[in-house]
Amino acid sequence: MIELYLDALNRELVDVGIPIRLRRRILAEAEDHLRADDGALERFGTPAEIANEFAAEIGARASRRAAVGAFVALGFAGAVYAISFVGAAFAGHPQPDTWPFLAQLALVTVIVAPQVSFVAGSLALVRVLRQRAPVLPSTELTVINRRTGIALVFGLVTMAALALLAFELRDDSAGWWVGLTLVGVAVATPLLVLAALPAAVAARLRPRVAGEPGDLFDDLGFGRTDPWRFAGLVAIGLGLVVFLVAAVQGDPFDGAINGTAEALACFAGFAALGRYLGFRR
Amino acid sequence: MRAEVLRGHVDLLLLATLREGPLHGYGIVESLRSASAGAFDLAEGTVYPALYRLEAAGLLSSRWTKAAGRRRRVYELTRHGRGELARSRDEWRSFANAVEAVVT
Repeated sequence: MIELYLDALNRELVDVGIPIRLRRRILAEAEDHLRADDGALERFGTPAEIANEFAAEIGARASRRAAVGAFVALGFAGAVYAISFVGAAFAGHPQPDTWPFLAQLALVTVIVAPQVSFVAGSLALVRVLRQRAPVLPSTELTVINRRTGIALVFGLVTMAALALLAFELRDDSAGWWVGLTLVGVAVATPLLVLAALPAAVAARLRPRVAGEPGDLFDDLGFGRTDPWRFAGLVAIGLGLVVFLVAAVQGDPFDGAINGTAEALACFAGFAALGRYLGFRR
Repeated sequence: MRAEVLRGHVDLLLLATLREGPLHGYGIVESLRSASAGAFDLAEGTVYPALYRLEAAGLLSSRWTKAAGRRRRVYELTRHGRGELARSRDEWRSFANAVEAVVT
């Protein structure tokens, strides 16, 4: 009977995503407990109940750790990006419309991907800082894990695009910029991969804890309104900022095009990822 | 006693059970049952996730030992755990006294 119970417990622990090392410990403790007393089996609780309690107990902590780790790694990748971006102004690049196709593709990627990464990573961090309970609803954990995952994936995409850009422009740019960018990417990428490991562990945990996840307004902590209207206002605001920056630099026509593209990309991002990342219910 | 009533107090009960010295999971459950004269009769396996959480929070430490040819994990309070126990006990006494004053 005890062996059957332990087999069932093992299956349930696998189902809820408990890592193998902890699973071995739980099974060893359960066996010791069950063999200590003939009646312990009836009082121990069902395998599903025990496995779910473990997943619930470690789920919130694992998601928190993953979100914070990802944010730190993304912070470093962000610094690499910023240094490369600022340095590009002094690297003697030719005009982008003369670049090879892959470089133009990489340019679009290094503009869009870090924004997605920054928003997802920041909101993952905000959510874990706001939700301090030791056990969180499963849906809440899913939102946190998705935000962390998207932030890391887009962070890695940014690093790959940055490396591609430097490689494609190696003959037309200052050597120091190409070297700086490639070295920065070479250091930041393993950090992002390392941060992805706890994120993968957290995403594998699947406790069944009832409850609704919050939305963007729970993250930001101010007045609730229609999320689509809010996304529209943010998109327009971002577009205006891009336009004004270009206008100040004496290029309002390009600014208008880039600002419109920025606003459309922001709104499209909300439409495509808003529900997945828990910005709206 | 209903499990949901007990749930909010599990941490304090586990810390208090370990104040006399190290115990393994079964020993903790037995000690809890005998100290409460059987009132705290929870699903015994649910003690382990709570022990794991308290250990992760630095309130308990644990180590493997051997007993009757089996591996046995023994838990004990850390210094931080003793401090938390004292704080939680004071908090509980204030709360219990206040409830007692209202309901009697």
